[in-house]
Amino acid sequence: MSADSFTTASASTASESIPEMVPAVSQQNEQVQFRTEAGQLLLVLPAETDPAAGLGWSDLLQQLQQRLSAGKRFWQFQAPVHLVVANRLLDGRQLGAIAESLAAAQLQLKRVHTSRRQTAVAAATAGYSVEQDSPSALNQATAASALADPLYLQTTVRSGVEVRHPGTVVIVGDLNPGSAVVADGDVVVWGRLRGIAHAGAKGNRQCRIMALQMEPTQLRIADQVARGPATPPTQFQAEVAYVTPGGIQIVQATDFSKN
Amino acid sequence: MNRVIVVTSGKGGVGKTTCTANLGMALARLGRQVALVDADFGLRNLDLLLGLENRVVYTAIEVLAGECRLEQALVRDKRHSQLVLLPAAQNRNKDAVTPEQMKKLVEDLKPKFDYILIDSPAGIEMGFQNAIAAASEAVVVTTPEISAVRDADRVVGLLEAQRVEKMHLVINRLRPAMVQANDMMSVQDVQEILSIPLLGVIPDDERVIVSTNRGEPLVLAEERSQAGTAFENIARRMEGEKVEFIDLNVSQDNFLTRLRRLFLG
Repeated sequence: MSADSFTTASASTASESIPEMVPAVSQQNEQVQFRTEAGQLLLVLPAETDPAAGLGWSDLLQQLQQRLSAGKRFWQFQAPVHLVVANRLLDGRQLGAIAESLAAAQLQLKRVHTSRRQTAVAAATAGYSVEQDSPSALNQATAASALADPLYLQTTVRSGVEVRHPGTVVIVGDLNPGSAVVADGDVVVWGRLRGIAHAGAKGNRQCRIMALQMEPTQLRIADQVARGPATPPTQFQAEVAYVTPGGIQIVQATDFSKN
Repeated sequence: MNRVIVVTSGKGGVGKTTCTANLGMALARLGRQVALVDADFGLRNLDLLLGLENRVVYTAIEVLAGECRLEQALVRDKRHSQLVLLPAAQNRNKDAVTPEQMKKLVEDLKPKFDYILIDSPAGIEMGFQNAIAAASEAVVVTTPEISAVRDADRVVGLLEAQRVEKMHLVINRLRPAMVQANDMMSVQDVQEILSIPLLGVIPDDERVIVSTNRGEPLVLAEERSQAGTAFENIARRMEGEKVEFIDLNVSQDNFLTRLRRLFLG
């Protein structure tokens, strides 16, 4: 198998960057998530843990908007959405903003699951049905035991955007420079990969990164790091990056599948 | 049909204010009623570029505080009465207004004007949030440099998240000779990353600096310049006209951009 002219970070570089990657793993669930459970579309907001480090309201709304527009083709017309907010405090105006964003994507906010009394009151006042779950039940529901369902996004991931997902991420579009995808499973980019991709972020070295056009700023698989070549190639083919004992290797997708 | 368009870029110094002034003037010359809103509170420049500094009496802040009526704060252009400027306050900072207040100002302006162009400050903080709050369309200005394109890309993402979905790209200060020598990003390179429809390409031109210093937008100059024509063409494209891109000695590139426009709409 012929390896590409790809710089694999030296062992020291790789171990240096490991501490950097640990906090990333612990923040794993801190993103807005759409999930289907028992035929119901759930919108799960990250729990409020540390107000200083957590996701602010405007970032949260921005993330929701991005997820909504990146999944546009798949939302069913007027599908009811169950909002799972756990211990996050939401007032009536914020609930309204979420409902408005959902409505713009032809989705309907129906029910709010919360462990906070104030959020429950706000939701009830706004006319949504409310389920006041105990925190423990919600934690069980949100704790991902195995890998989550793949996240499929049809969008250009632009500079400054970081997509995190506790499963495989499929991007139909480009991953622009300055952006990052961090997945516990594989990263598949059906387009140009120019940002940072991290597969197997929880430590699974079996994970892979695939792209139609590999021009990454950096590739990370589990605890391994590799930089892109200084002079980018002029011709591109679909390629796969995976971990070998010698570090991260890249091969053409056609060769990889024969292996 | 009054359109509210924010002119923004992320990075500073790429030509947002120059674009706003020239596009506003060009649209006014096409017979449109145009209001330019300076959203760069604390660092206002738009009045200087239009040569209207000495006519500013009230600013948006006084309007919001109820100290004057909106009409009193609007500065009518000395050359084209169809163009007015709503100046920003110079003695305040970006936190002096809220997105809601900006929305209200623009709502009040809307009925009287065909175009409302909002000149956004650099950055993505409060000033930017204010500038885009009321807009339904955006003109993203960038120069063919990786830093400017990177910031523009971030801004496009933020605009998408704010549901300002109608976006167009203006590439400013292109130097065709450098592009041909492979020393500068081409129009194509920039478009490949930003992937939003191209509205126009403005060549680098020393006369832009002269016009800025004189407070006389380039589109008014008697001596025709490529940059001035590029601004006029952009205004005509905004009006829905199909205008060919000027040949900036990059013939192949032009053909491709046209093809791309054809596909991307």
